[in-house]
Amino acid sequence: MSLNVDNIWVWNIFGVEVWITETIVNSWIIMAVLIALAIFIRIKMRKFKEIPTGFQNLVEAGIEMFHNFAKNTLGEKLLYISPWFFAIFVFILSSSLFSIFGLRAPTADFATTGAFAIATFVLMIVLGTRHKKGAYIKSYFEPHFIFFPLNLIGELAKPVSLSFRLFGNMLSGTIILTLYYSLTPIFVQIGIPAFFHAFFDVFFGAIQTYIFVIISQMYVKTAAD
Amino acid sequence: MHNMILYLAEAAPEGRVFGLDQQTLISMLIQLLNGVILAVALGFILYKPLRNFMQKRTDRIQGKIDNVEATMAKAKELIAEYNEKLSQIEITSQEIIEEARQKAAEESRAIIESAKQEAQEIRARTLESIEDDKRRLKEEARLYIIELAFLIAQKYVAQNIDEETQDRLFEEAVTELEEAQWQH
Repeated sequence: MSLNVDNIWVWNIFGVEVWITETIVNSWIIMAVLIALAIFIRIKMRKFKEIPTGFQNLVEAGIEMFHNFAKNTLGEKLLYISPWFFAIFVFILSSSLFSIFGLRAPTADFATTGAFAIATFVLMIVLGTRHKKGAYIKSYFEPHFIFFPLNLIGELAKPVSLSFRLFGNMLSGTIILTLYYSLTPIFVQIGIPAFFHAFFDVFFGAIQTYIFVIISQMYVKTAAD
Repeated sequence: MHNMILYLAEAAPEGRVFGLDQQTLISMLIQLLNGVILAVALGFILYKPLRNFMQKRTDRIQGKIDNVEATMAKAKELIAEYNEKLSQIEITSQEIIEEARQKAAEESRAIIESAKQEAQEIRARTLESIEDDKRRLKEEARLYIIELAFLIAQKYVAQNIDEETQDRLFEEAVTELEEAQWQH
């Protein structure tokens, strides 16, 4: 396990050098697993019954829980964007959980957290303009137009803080685990790291996922409502 | 397209933890695209169909609950209606009983009145009959006394006076007797 985000390939697309990093490849692996799981559930869904039991119960409980969470945070009006938040919730959580198997968490790379934060920022602007129309743009110039730079910085700070919070937290877990594996003899690398993984990957991962998604939803809700 | 994408595995630069440059921006764009692809895929394959399935079931159950509630409301309405009818019947029966009671009381009063009247009539008739009997008995007694007096006088006169005087005396005696004793 290394601290660096390794570059797997370098592609040259229209003369532009593109690094295909470990983060991107790991993201594809996670995406493939998640999409495969979704297809598996979709196939299973054909046999879903009126009264859920076993696996159906688990799936429905998960979806219902997320739906209620999104409904409480976003409200009925913005619920149509909940699939996006569902996807990033599942992706961030899976990133943390997959690092148990030695896969470097894509969220421990600023490219991932920055991308999701930019998406939140774009959603804030698009939905704010769509739902509040001119009032959203006007909010940048309140209480007086001279406050525009401050308001703009305040808005730009949101995706920055959002991305760095997740990135810092996930990277810290990666650094601690990397240091542990690098500095300790081989006989203490069996069994004991499971506690670190449980704490940094499962517990921290779940909490950071929840924080990232709920804050993103609140930013979008504040902008659009 | 294939020619444009060059696989440069050998020339891959050293990895890094963090950097703010063009490559980070490109990686961010790729990750953003990955996120959008994942959102679309999960949304269409899993999230929306499952939500629709659950929503339809919720609607079905809600429909059944609404149906049951409507039936319950209707049943309650019917119960209230029947209770109203029952209380109405109770009131009507009370009225009928009261009316019958009043009628019976009136009838009994009329019967008693009629019985009293009849008793009065019987009494009056009885008194009248007693009066008649009294009169008849008095008459009979008077005639008997007259007859008795006549016999006594006849015997007395037979011994003392002739037949002509006897008749005259008899006539005078009878007249006096009639006037004196049976006038009132």
